[in-house]
Amino acid sequence: MSGALKGRRILITGAAKGIGLATTERFIGEGARVAALDRDEAALTALAGRFNRSQLHPAKTDVVDPASVAAAVAESAAALGGLDGIVNAAGIDLVADIEAMALADWSRVLAVNLTGPMLVMQAAYPHLKTAGGGTIVNVSSGAGLSPLKHRTAYCASKAGLQMASKALAMEAAEFGIRVNTVCPGAVETELFRSGIDTSPDPQAAYEAVRSRYALQRIAAPDEIAAAILWLTSAESSYVTGTAIAVDGGRTFH
Amino acid sequence: MTASAGRFSGKVVAITGAAHGIGAATARRFLAEGARVAVIDRESEGFAESFRDVPAEQLLTVAGDCTDAAVLADFHARAVSSFGPVDILFNNVGQSGRERAAQFHESDEEVWRFVLEVSLFTAMRMSRLVVPAMRERGGRIVNMSSDAAFVGDAGLTDYAAAKMGIIGFTRALARELAAHRVTVNAVAPGAIRTRAHDRLTPAVIEKIKATTPAGFIAEPEDVAGCVAFLASEDARYVTGQTLLIDGGRWMI
Repeated sequence: MSGALKGRRILITGAAKGIGLATTERFIGEGARVAALDRDEAALTALAGRFNRSQLHPAKTDVVDPASVAAAVAESAAALGGLDGIVNAAGIDLVADIEAMALADWSRVLAVNLTGPMLVMQAAYPHLKTAGGGTIVNVSSGAGLSPLKHRTAYCASKAGLQMASKALAMEAAEFGIRVNTVCPGAVETELFRSGIDTSPDPQAAYEAVRSRYALQRIAAPDEIAAAILWLTSAESSYVTGTAIAVDGGRTFH
Repeated sequence: MTASAGRFSGKVVAITGAAHGIGAATARRFLAEGARVAVIDRESEGFAESFRDVPAEQLLTVAGDCTDAAVLADFHARAVSSFGPVDILFNNVGQSGRERAAQFHESDEEVWRFVLEVSLFTAMRMSRLVVPAMRERGGRIVNMSSDAAFVGDAGLTDYAAAKMGIIGFTRALARELAAHRVTVNAVAPGAIRTRAHDRLTPAVIEKIKATTPAGFIAEPEDVAGCVAFLASEDARYVTGQTLLIDGGRWMI
């Protein structure tokens, strides 16, 4: 495909790294104009340097902070002249035994992975309505479909994001707004690497993850971006409230 | 719809039940994107209308009943001899047998057998024909399920069973073939404007619209876009999945 998103104005969170970055690159390649939100200023500056301002508008944002989200969404809509879609790609992981998990850690995961996307959707919703319709794609996880050990907070946040997306899909349909989720498995990102590298035996940890997938490999961020693109494009015009697993065969959802 | 010329250039596609509706729309989509396509349908008089202006070297049409194993084997053999091994199989053919639909306590085993034959066994038989070569060369299989499998429409017990059977078949085959670069997925449409849909009463159509958040009946092309995605390089990491195309009628 090329030009699948020509002229579309899309806001992407977590846009400077990992899946969000791959999505930003792919979307711009398909003709979209992107508002790139990320809390990592250095990564965002590096990203902004690669594109002209008509293609990409960077906005430093912390999705757990309602004021930061409101400001970033308003600024993005002003810069792009409106919004036709959002992609919530910002997220964090947490591996912790139930007994060792601090309440603050649990709360942080829920704040970033569930409340954050909600704040972004809430702030962007009037702009999508004004545009006469639009698309919302939330990056959930295979862990929101089928559980993983030692990830109570992460799994709950990602399952919650799926159901929030479905409930909003019902509410938003009358405005021509489609809401879907993509559920990746393990993806070769900085987030994934940090989890592997901090484990006691990185090689064994990597093998354990790899062997969970029928395709026997870890995904590239581009492979997730491809599904996000499809759900954002007119190709998926009758698809709403669905959760697509892009997990190389683990959940068999 | 944005068709991208050439995305499927050099690919060989086989589609069952493709004279009308979703099968024909999907075939046209693959043709527009550069594939060579082999189609089979019992109602072959629909081919001329559905595939006007398609060059003969790009399209093979076969008239035949998909529930006949020998006919399917012949279709596969002709597709391979005309175009080469099948890269993409869309197991589309199916029927709810709605004209003969009945409450379960009054239903006939003969109708169950027909519905299971046409909606499940044809997909298994056709897959059985293409899988040996796909294990060597990679490939894509997309099976036709239905949101009726999830919703469980009253009066269509056999159809719901067949379409849920498709989902189990899809998952198990996906797992078997994953290491061979073959993905196997299913699509599960809701209300789509096809000939079967046009035979529904206005009251039934209104009821479907009322239970569909999107509020409208989709076109066959809406399904074709989903099948094309699952068959594309963009979906190479998607396998064993069932994609609902139903305007939000059922959300799993």
